[in-house]
Formats: sequence, C-alpha cells, structure tokens
Amino acid sequence: MNPTAEPVTIALASIPNSGKTTLFNLLTGSSQSTGNWPGVSVEQKSGIFSLGEYIVTLIDLPGTYALSPVTEEEQVVRDYLLNSPPNIILNVLDAGNLQRGLGLTLQMAASALPMVVAVNMIDETRRRGITLDLKALALHLGVPVIELSAKTGEGLPDLKEALYEIIKHPEKTRIPHISCPPLLEKAFFQITEAIGKSSIDTRLDHTFLAMRMLEAENQNQWTSNEKVAALTKKWQRRLKQSLQTSFPVVCAGCRFNAARGLAMEVLGEQPIIEDKLNSRLDHIFLHRFFGLPIFIMLMFLLFQGVYGLGAPLQEILSVAFDRAGSWLFSQFMVLSLPAGLQSFLFDGIWQGIAVVTSFLPIIALFFFFMSLIEDSGYMARVAFLMDRLMHRLGLDGKAFISILLGYGCNVPAVMGTRVMSNSYSRILTMLLIPFTLCTARLQIFVFLTAIFFTSAIAPWIILSLYGCSFVAVILSGFVLKLFHIGGTPEPFIMEIPPYRFPTLRSVGLRSWYEMKDFLSRAAPLIIAGVLIVWLLIHMPTNVPPASAATWAGQLGQILAPVFQPLGIGWQETIALIFGFIAKEIVVGSLAVIYGGTDLAGLMSSHITQMQSISFMIFCLLYTPCVATIAAIWSESRSLRITLISLVSGLAIAWLASFIFYQSGLLFGFN
Amino acid sequence: MTSAQHIPVSALLAQSECIIRSLGSDDKTAQRLAQMGILPGTHLRIIRVAPLGGTIEVNDGQGQSFALRQQEVAAMNCEPVAMPLISELVAKGRTYMIRDLRGGKTFQQRMAAAGLQEEGLIQIREAGVRPIQIRLVDTDRQVSLGQGEAKKIIVEVINHESNS
Repeated sequence: MNPTAEPVTIALASIPNSGKTTLFNLLTGSSQSTGNWPGVSVEQKSGIFSLGEYIVTLIDLPGTYALSPVTEEEQVVRDYLLNSPPNIILNVLDAGNLQRGLGLTLQMAASALPMVVAVNMIDETRRRGITLDLKALALHLGVPVIELSAKTGEGLPDLKEALYEIIKHPEKTRIPHISCPPLLEKAFFQITEAIGKSSIDTRLDHTFLAMRMLEAENQNQWTSNEKVAALTKKWQRRLKQSLQTSFPVVCAGCRFNAARGLAMEVLGEQPIIEDKLNSRLDHIFLHRFFGLPIFIMLMFLLFQGVYGLGAPLQEILSVAFDRAGSWLFSQFMVLSLPAGLQSFLFDGIWQGIAVVTSFLPIIALFFFFMSLIEDSGYMARVAFLMDRLMHRLGLDGKAFISILLGYGCNVPAVMGTRVMSNSYSRILTMLLIPFTLCTARLQIFVFLTAIFFTSAIAPWIILSLYGCSFVAVILSGFVLKLFHIGGTPEPFIMEIPPYRFPTLRSVGLRSWYEMKDFLSRAAPLIIAGVLIVWLLIHMPTNVPPASAATWAGQLGQILAPVFQPLGIGWQETIALIFGFIAKEIVVGSLAVIYGGTDLAGLMSSHITQMQSISFMIFCLLYTPCVATIAAIWSESRSLRITLISLVSGLAIAWLASFIFYQSGLLFGFN
Repeated sequence: MTSAQHIPVSALLAQSECIIRSLGSDDKTAQRLAQMGILPGTHLRIIRVAPLGGTIEVNDGQGQSFALRQQEVAAMNCEPVAMPLISELVAKGRTYMIRDLRGGKTFQQRMAAAGLQEEGLIQIREAGVRPIQIRLVDTDRQVSLGQGEAKKIIVEVINHESNS
C-alpha cells in the first residue's frame, strides 16, 4: 500500500428505501462504527475499505429526499455537504423508482463534487422485464453510472473501479442544467456573482451555494461576507412576494421536470407495470377487516420470538455466569485478596458484566426480527395500519412496535426506536417506553402480590398494574405532545416500498452490529451504574452491606420524609436504589436488607397491603433500570432527554404512589 | 366543467383519482411532498383507506405507493378525475364515463344485463337519493343502482359540459 496516498472520504447518499444500507454493508463489511451526528439524535455510520492504494472512509448519510431541509436528517446531510464536502459522493438510485431518486441526484450533481451513481436493485427490474438505458443517464448527468445489485453483489467490481478511477483522476463534474423561472435564474446569478467576489474558499459550485443560502434562514453559517448575506436576504424577500409557492417547492418543481425527462429517456416507452404479487399481498396484509387481526397475530409472534426464545437464553447465560463467577472467585489468587476487594470484583464488576451480557440475547433476537419486518417491507405497512391510533399521541405508527416490545424489555425497545425516520417520534417514543411494564418488573409484582394478597386477588392487582402502565404511556404521550419536548412534529408522508425478501446476511449482520453497538455504547454506562450502587451498599466497609449504616441505608433514611407519604419505609427505599441496577434484583435485595430467611413473613409483618401496592406503583413508573437510561442516552445523545426521562419517571412515580396511598388512607384502607 | 377544489375527507374513497393543482398552504407538508416529486400535475389514485381510517394509501402514477393523512390530501387543491359512483363528488346532471366495473362475475353479468359497460356514458338523475338513479346516455335507459353496486362502479369525469 502506498503510504503517500491521501485519505479519501466518500459519502453515501440516497433517498430512503434505495438499498443504501445494504450497499454500505457490502462495501465496508465489519469495519463499521456508529455514532451520532453532532448535536442531534441522528445516527452516523461510517466504515473503512480499501480501493487499490487508497484507504477510503465511507460515510453513510441518512436517507433524504432533498438538500432543502424539512427534517433533522435532511439538515444533517446538507450541513455535512456544505461544511465538510467529501471527496466523492456515491449516490444510490433504486432502479424501480428512478424519477424520485433523480430529484436528489440532480440536486447533488449541482454541487460540482465528483459523483458516482449506482443504480441499485437492477436484478428486480430485470426480473420484471424492464431494461434501462443507463448510458443515456450517464451522458445526461455527466458522471459514471454503474448498475448494481447490493443484495447479490452483482456490479460491485465495476462500482469499485469507477470509484477508483475518479479518485485517481478527480475531474470537476459538469453540472446538469435545470431550467428555472427567469426570476430565480436572476437571483441565482446575482448571488453567485457576489459569492465569487467574496473570498470564500470552497470546492462547491457557487450557484449550488447560492441555492442553499436562499433556502436557509441564516446565511452566516457559510459566509461571513455581509454583502452576500444582505443580497440573499433581499432576494428572499423579493421571491417571497413574487412566487406563489415557497422557493423550495418551486425548485423541486424544476428539478422534477428534469428528473421526469431523464427517467423517460432511461426507460424509453416502457409502460409502468403494476407488480401483481405486491398488490395481492397488500390486499391481504392491509385488508379492511383482516389487516388488523393479521397484524396482531404477527406482533404476538414477534413478541414470542424475541422473549420466548430470549428468556431461556438469558437464563442459560445467567447460570453460566454464576458458575463461572463462583469458580473464578474460589481460586486461590482471588481468595488471597482483601474481602472488600473481592466483593468489589464479584458484586461490582462481575455483576455489572453479567447485567450487560444478560441483554445480549434479546438484543440480538430483537434486531433479527425487527430487520425481518423492516427489510420485508412490512414495517411501512405497520406504520400505515397504526398511524391513526399512534397519531393521537403525536407518534409515528412505527412507534407501536417499540412500545409493544417495551412490555418485554425496555432496553431493546429503546434501541429499536432508530427504525423511525424522524427524530421527533423517536424522542417521544424513547420517553414513553420506560412506562411499559417489562418482565423484570412483572417478577417483582408476582412475588409481592403472592405475599400480600390471596391467589384470587393477586392476578387482578397485576392486571391493574398493566392498566396503570397503559394509562401512564397514553397520558405522558399527551403531555409530551403538549410541551413539544421532541421538537416539532413532521408531516407524515411515507413511501410504501414493495415487499422484498430479506436476506439472511443482512438480517444477521444487523443483529451482530447492534450487539456490538450496545457493548460499545451502553455497556460502560451500565457497569458504571452497577458500581455506583455497589459503593452505596458497601460503604463504609466496617458495617454489614445494605444495612442502615451504609451509605445506601443513610440515603434511605435521608429520603425517608420523601417516601413516608407514599407508605414506603427506608428498607424498601434501599431496594428501590438496588432496582436502579435492574428490577430483577429488587426482590433479592429485599431479602438482604431484611436479613432474615422468612422474607415473606418479615415483609408482611412490616408492610400493609396498601403500602405494598404503593411500592409496586412506584416500581412500575420510576426509572426502569440503568441499562434503559444508558440506551436512552446512547440513542438520543442528549443529556437533556436522558435527564427528562430520569426525572419525569421519578416525579410521576412519586405522584402516582402518593395519590394512591393518601387517597387509600383517606378512604380508611391501610 | 371541472375545477380544482379541496376534496372533503369524506370523499377520499378508494379508487378515487385526482390531479393535484396546488399543494396546500402548510409549507412543511408542501415542501415534503414536492421533494418526493409529488407536485402540481401529479395524478393521485387512492388505493385504500387504512382499517382505522384517517390514513390513506395513494399511488402517484409512477407505480409508487405513499401513505398520507386524509387531512393532508384534503388541504391540497385537487381536481377530481375519477371516483366511485357513490362519491359525493358525483354531481347531478353531469355526464360521466364508466371507467371500471370492479366486481365479480355475477356483478359483471348483472351490470351487462342492465346495459352498463366500461366506457359507457352515464348521468345521475337525482343527487343524494338512494337507490341511485342513473341514465345511460347512449341508450337513454334508466337504471337504479344499490349502494353496494354503485361502490364498485368507477366513473371518470369527462371534459365537456353536461347536456341536460
């Protein structure tokens, strides 16, 4: 490899549903890393691959329809192209949906950055008997056009060669001309001229910059030149007065006129054939009467698939961890360590790792099934079916799946919010998921109701808690919608892609990446949380762990006045602190705190029925666990959102328990 | 005479078709639609209404489907082109062409027996009356249709003044 070769950045850009991610996986393999775009909850994926002597960084831009931003994703893409233009743009087009994709292609071609166009899913159009004249496309666009099937890998060598050639001989792209109304042309011309006179240093075409500036509220982010900014403002006012529709809409009109012409050129006289199989499938899956029952059945299968398969795997892992742990900590080397350090290693670090690992099976399964639903095209149908219902809560129809799966475990459910295409719904859904009654909380409720209630009443208590969880989700949905916490809602206009066969490769890869991602992003936070709780429970060292004299015990007593109106004593308060690690250990921690063998007897003598319900309500609504918080943080990348989730959970839990317990007392129960 | 109008939500029935004349006043929605290539001049055909209502699937004439909310379509200015015979957009006295008879074999036979065929011209005799009274323009026959039948008959607006 030639060490003098400059590093090359290629940005992968396309409209949604073009198979961009499949191509990204194909090119970068396992070298991917994920993060967030600065300041927003939009995922940034990048990967590395080599092209001859060059090391290429491939940036996967979020799917967008245009560079004139409506959504946060589009803003990310525009800002990226303007502020740190890549060496090459790799644009992906869906061969079966050329005209729509060309809208973005033409807009990007105007930037003058070197570009390669990959026409993807060529196998599908071929099967449907459609031939494409891609030579004509390349001629008109002035850039290399490669036919490709990212699914089968067909055309990949050609694509790599085309990219290599362009890196080797970077030529300025010839900008396709799009005719616009004369007034716009004049505006572009004048601003372009002003940009040319200013001392701006950019690889981007000046007319392209002029267009972006005309769309933006604030030009100062790209130019410090007062003249350019003032001229742009002047033209914005003038265009607003004389155009009947907004400037971006007029531009889109011009662009799509050109795109339509281009698509016609490529497709020739071929009629648009409706995909019979596709409409037949939709006739079943979106049927007026059967559509919803089929959906409910599939959701049941999904839930069972994730948790029915996941729970035994978790069990096996936890047993294996216990055994490995007790073996490891019975070794001479470990036994010779001081007792405090042993406890730190075993109850702190080892425990933390065990908590992290316990999530892996369900995360893998969750994303396996989610990818199946997404790649097959059913996800868009879910959004269509559930839109009415979820729209009331200000949510995307796709949010339904995440919230539903929260009833199994909040952690993958929060991670799953990334299938939603707009950040408003994503944030809102993330904040609602912690109120879903996950199976870990169910364990507490089953245990406690068995102690405090007869077997005839216990199931009703649990059912009421589920009801309480539904109400909490719905009410918080309304409240969050009211306060616009996730930003402003976006218009709901969604493409419904054709059904496709998911490949095992892409589904498997997705599960694998999500597990890796969870380990790198959420795991450190989870282990840190577990260690903090360990410290609280074991410090100072000269008292029995979790007793009243430990920091946790002292905290419990300090907090006693806060929890007293809820009928929750300091012992249970410590258990609630434990519950921050994972709800599964609340019951076990109660046993440690009460320190007796007959936990049921001890508890029922200390706690009344009312108090036990109040405790359960609190458990239901407060922070689910450190892993969920870690997931929310790593998905939203926003301290604000994470804090809102944490604080609102505690506040709502306190309020609900308070209202329940005090009104119970008022009515003479105890 | 045909004209662009705001099509009320209640008239957004499956199999209706319209041409967009303007994208409506909500800037964000208009811009989103425009960026997806749904612009004035685009033909929209309503494929279905979601089981829970509120959301509709439309086809844009390029073989691509979209989901939209009914309010968003109602906010646009559209020119109705085709609709089921039960649609409230079907006006009395206007002449329509039968575009499609969407039913099974028995329905097709029944329609044939009554003299209705694809590309045949019809007029509504009385608006808002059930059963629906129509006149076959070519044969000057009068036919009365049940609601269920009218639902399956898709008619197309033809661009000349009614001859009543």
